[in-house]
Amino acid sequence: MTATVGKVPDALADPLAAQKPSSLWRDTLWNILRQRSAVVGLTFLVFLVAVAVFAPVIATYNPNEPMIGVQAGAKVRMPPCIHLLGCPANLPQHLMGLDGNGRDVFSRVVYGARVSLQIGILTVGFAIILGALIGAIAGYFAGKTDNVLMRLMDVVLAFPSLLLAIAIVTVLGQGLINAQLAIGIVAIPVYARVMRASVLSIREQEFVAASRALGESRGGILVRRVVPNALTPLIVQGTLGIAAAIIDVAALSFLGLGAQPPLAEWGSMIGIERNAVFAAPHLIIFPGLAIVVTCLAFNLLGDGVRDALDPRLNR
Amino acid sequence: MPGRPWRARLAALGAGTAILIAACGGAASPSPTQAPTQAPTQAPSATPFEAMSYPTAGEVDCAAGTYNGKPYTGMIKSIKALDAKTVEFTLCGSDPAFLSKVAFSPFAINDTAYLEKAAADGSIVRNPNGTGPYKLKEWVQGDHITLEANPTYWGTAPLVPEVVFKWSTEAAQRLVELQSGNADGIDNPGPTDFATIANDPNLKLYPREGLNVFYVGMNNTYPPFDNEKVRQAVAMGIDRQRIVDNFMPPGSTVASHFTPCAIPNGCVGPEWYSFDVAAAKKLLAEAGFPDGFQTTIHLRDVVRGYLAQPVIVAQDIQAQLKTNLNIEAKIDVQESGTFIDNADAGKLDGIHLLGWGADYPDVTNFLDYHFGAGSSAQFGKKYPDIVAALQEGAKGANDDVRKPAYEQANTLIKQHVPMVPISHAGSATAFKADVEGAHSSPLTSEVFSVMKPGDRSQLVWIQNGEPAGIYCADETDGEALRVCEQITEALYGFEVGGTKAIPVLATACTPNTDLAVWTCTLRDNVTFADGATLDANDVVLSYAVQWDAAHPLHKGRDGSFTYFPSLWGGFLNPPAQ
Repeated sequence: MTATVGKVPDALADPLAAQKPSSLWRDTLWNILRQRSAVVGLTFLVFLVAVAVFAPVIATYNPNEPMIGVQAGAKVRMPPCIHLLGCPANLPQHLMGLDGNGRDVFSRVVYGARVSLQIGILTVGFAIILGALIGAIAGYFAGKTDNVLMRLMDVVLAFPSLLLAIAIVTVLGQGLINAQLAIGIVAIPVYARVMRASVLSIREQEFVAASRALGESRGGILVRRVVPNALTPLIVQGTLGIAAAIIDVAALSFLGLGAQPPLAEWGSMIGIERNAVFAAPHLIIFPGLAIVVTCLAFNLLGDGVRDALDPRLNR
Repeated sequence: MPGRPWRARLAALGAGTAILIAACGGAASPSPTQAPTQAPTQAPSATPFEAMSYPTAGEVDCAAGTYNGKPYTGMIKSIKALDAKTVEFTLCGSDPAFLSKVAFSPFAINDTAYLEKAAADGSIVRNPNGTGPYKLKEWVQGDHITLEANPTYWGTAPLVPEVVFKWSTEAAQRLVELQSGNADGIDNPGPTDFATIANDPNLKLYPREGLNVFYVGMNNTYPPFDNEKVRQAVAMGIDRQRIVDNFMPPGSTVASHFTPCAIPNGCVGPEWYSFDVAAAKKLLAEAGFPDGFQTTIHLRDVVRGYLAQPVIVAQDIQAQLKTNLNIEAKIDVQESGTFIDNADAGKLDGIHLLGWGADYPDVTNFLDYHFGAGSSAQFGKKYPDIVAALQEGAKGANDDVRKPAYEQANTLIKQHVPMVPISHAGSATAFKADVEGAHSSPLTSEVFSVMKPGDRSQLVWIQNGEPAGIYCADETDGEALRVCEQITEALYGFEVGGTKAIPVLATACTPNTDLAVWTCTLRDNVTFADGATLDANDVVLSYAVQWDAAHPLHKGRDGSFTYFPSLWGGFLNPPAQ
């Protein structure tokens, strides 16, 4: 139908029409930016992403290259040496010192950011995709499908997550990819439950009933109507889950089951030097701080996203 | 000693047979299980002593290398109780290391009746019954082992009534426990903590001589290590001095030979290859690997006296292989038991990091165990020329006679490079300053009965790990051996804090002129913790159950009895490979 609409005088124009149409994402971003903790988290995160992306520029040395025999005065487990802060000029400058193999700790912490961010995002991405799929199918199709899938998830949830991850890595073999896979598998039920809960609520909404009345297929309704509207809690859970995934993989690496030497991964850096905690505490403190800051950033951001997306908390 | 009805019946049967044969005019030949009983050296008791000997059936043919027609590679021909207090070991050849071997804790003596019961039902693994200064009070698995003084101990009573063994794999935790007063002594403080301990007036560090070797092993059945030039290239391409300077505790030295020089004939023959990257690259190119290759460094992340920082050293070797030889090595950290099993079974396809601490101060303990006829498959196929040289060396009547054979063996080891000896590592124990008699043993056999921890009635010792079992005939881990050594005793032992073999359950073991027959006289009035009295049959059976793989009591934790064939050349009735 084509209609010819005459120009409405400005005085009579609807003030609501003059407003920009509302967008979920823009509103969310705006809500996030209104929360101080979320802004702090986001700032840290942007900084960490920048460190990870520009690691080759920021790092002062090759993270895997021992300095002993290469640099005069370099000794294993050398404490931080910053010339500006009074470290003798005849000693090589290393902002965070050298590790037990004589490698520059600062460069390893910087490259470790790359590994940890990649771990967090890939692990949670994997868990969200599978969890969302299982949760959506269980929630939408209900009945026996729901029962079977969710009991399976309950079984996985019944195990302590880190213990189950250790068992999975033991079966699959040590290594960063297997550790990520294990942590991802363990996290699936959480996302499946969140997704299922959302789907159960949305499938009863009127617009879904309308789609059904218009003859849209069940698959079509699920993919085009239900899932897009059920994603919000998943995003919140995912943001918080990244921090947990980073800690879990660091724990596996600490135990020697995740990242394998000489890869610069924060958990493995702490694990290998754990016995030097008194003699060379800088080897534990710096990678430990990096883990704390990264997880804090994701947690603050996650809390901000949750608050921003929760209509009950809308101000 | 408790009654032995089956033996009484056999004695009666034997006596009856002897009488019958004598009546028929023939000379009674002794039954193999009951050698003629000679005049006892002690006051006659109600039950006459029935001397045992082993083997009970058939004879070892040393010249042919057979027992009952089956191949036999061992050095022992027979073990006989001559009387209640005398045992005779007849060997296939001279063995100048005999005293050091019988002093080793896996060859501790058990009571016959106890062995017959406890080995059969498996309780021997956790409930030892020894003649030592302590006896087991409790073993709370996963937590601690408590020993209490043995009230019937024949020697000087222990200075401390109780010893508690605890364990932690973490050197930092062991140190914290010592500093906080929860422990009186710890084993293997971390190399980075030596200075901390030395500077603490409440603690005292006892450095331990590096009577060990840390090596990089290669299995010659997996390419490219089946190529001798590749192995030689690896030997020349690793800067061993750098490893010792940066990663080994104070007191460590670069290994010039596999065996430490403190052991007679340990470092005779040519010194190991010096670090020469150009020569190593040339050899690699000649072997067909000018651009290097990919391999794996296998190891276990377990601290031992010979290697205090396994993963860190592995990473340095990884870096050196890449930088010096363009060899890309992946690091594979395995669980300790799995790693040892894989190494012994010859399943480690790359290079592996392992080591060895002296059990007794003789070159056979290092070379024969690793490269001899009874050695495991950790380096792949045995090198026959090395085996022959070692067999020759073991027969020598004294160190001078043995020297040429060990020169030859060390020359061949350098040529074939089954492994690269890296270092002889220093290590230490640490105690509270008020512990009198505290020491470290170069054989890691610290004796707690001579220690007095101030006015405390208990000495708490924290070591690296929990023993898997404490029937040490079937254990190889030093963590188990140290516990056993407080409870059980062998014919000889080692002086406190030293390596000299001294009489313990024997008053002396004396050889014949060619050192092939050793006669040991047992100490009087020695009793086991359960009250049984030590006699010569206990010695025969304690050895026999290890020696004969088909013996019904050849049972332990896993039944491998690894030390016996390694030190004595082989089992009777060896299991099929």
